[in-house]
Amino acid sequence: MSDKSTEVNFEFRQRLNKIIGGNHHNFCYQCGACVSLCPTAKYSTEFNPRTIMLMALLGLEDKLIAPDSIIWKCTNCYTCYERCPQDVRPVDVITALKNICVAEDRAPDIITRYSAGILDTGVSTPLSVAIAKRREKFGLPKFNITGYDEMKIILDREDSK
Amino acid sequence: MTQIVPFWGCMIPLRYPHIEMAIRKTLANLQMELVEDLPFTCCPDPIYFKARDQFDWLVIAARNLALAEERNLPLLTVCSGCTSTLKEARFLLNEDENLKDRVNTQLKKINREYKGTVNVEHAVVYLRDVLGYDAIQDSIQKRIENLRVAIHYGCHLLKPSQIMHVDDADYPQLLSDLVKMTGAIPVTHEEQLLCCGKGCIDDLIPYEMTSDIFDSVKEAKADCLGLICPTCFSSFDLGQKIIERKLNKKHEIPVIYYFQLLGLAQGLSPEEVGLDQHKIPMKGILD
Repeated sequence: MSDKSTEVNFEFRQRLNKIIGGNHHNFCYQCGACVSLCPTAKYSTEFNPRTIMLMALLGLEDKLIAPDSIIWKCTNCYTCYERCPQDVRPVDVITALKNICVAEDRAPDIITRYSAGILDTGVSTPLSVAIAKRREKFGLPKFNITGYDEMKIILDREDSK
Repeated sequence: MTQIVPFWGCMIPLRYPHIEMAIRKTLANLQMELVEDLPFTCCPDPIYFKARDQFDWLVIAARNLALAEERNLPLLTVCSGCTSTLKEARFLLNEDENLKDRVNTQLKKINREYKGTVNVEHAVVYLRDVLGYDAIQDSIQKRIENLRVAIHYGCHLLKPSQIMHVDDADYPQLLSDLVKMTGAIPVTHEEQLLCCGKGCIDDLIPYEMTSDIFDSVKEAKADCLGLICPTCFSSFDLGQKIIERKLNKKHEIPVIYYFQLLGLAQGLSPEEVGLDQHKIPMKGILD
């Protein structure tokens, strides 16, 4: 029998498949085109989108979903998506993996902190008194968030965690 | 007058309102009428919020798209992040009927529906494709002489090209053409397509990337860096102060958002386009 470490974790892959963009990891044939112009791969010897796709294919949950997972160093620049001949969309697979990290409460704090701002106010940047004054000085219209109530309603769903 | 719906997003109106001022003034000079009574929220952002939960991200984006669709008007973005979210959301929803149905189940709760007919473009793409270069030319009052503007595309205007459909992602021409319209000299350089690094969660890598871009800009003997995204703007303007601290390197390259440059060429003063609001001053470069 083979070594345990080579067994594929299909359960994890099935979980990944269900997330938007996650199923595209199945198309990867490990050619490495995604690495060629990946900016993070240029600046970090640890980061390699091809290896991340391989880890997804093997279902290496412990590494991919670890609190210090390498996936958070992706710049989201979409160069891998542009290069991939198989439509794997590696950046989207990485985003799907990030969604699992968040669901498992293993994401960097900044993700929840930043998202909470949007969920609480409807905008990603708070409207400060200083900015309101500056807008007035520049002759800009008052900034109002009027879509917040509707946003709250559409985010309420039966299947949410 | 051409009617369009501006999607201001969060960063420009709430962090860099001087850029909003420049965009409003230049669009007015181009006879564009802004329809602004739509109750938008954050696009939402294509990196952190999308990393949290993609379905929530898609539902909020679909609502924003549906609002413009109801008016049957094109949606004009001024931030590459908003452009990325809204165009990718549209792509994903149009690609997957089942996903669209699930999203519309949520939108039904507020009596809205995403149909898939809305057009979204970054304002610079709109200038090229809808308004046309002749209309820009006609708005120019005072050509900018002897200013070398290094081009920075940023990632989300061009990539992925199967969604964005803006330009060749490896050999783009759009920003060079637009800079040329103002009289300034567009300067291409080695790292013009490198990411500003903002999305990477790391203490050093983003600043190393940005710093290398500045080295490339200096190598090409440009006077300033021209761009079209508020996140890139933050990485390069405020970013230079952080690079000084973290990497002990001083670059002193002023940064200019394209509509500020266009505004200058339309005869607006540096203050009227908000150039006095930048961390790295343009002073001495514009005379």
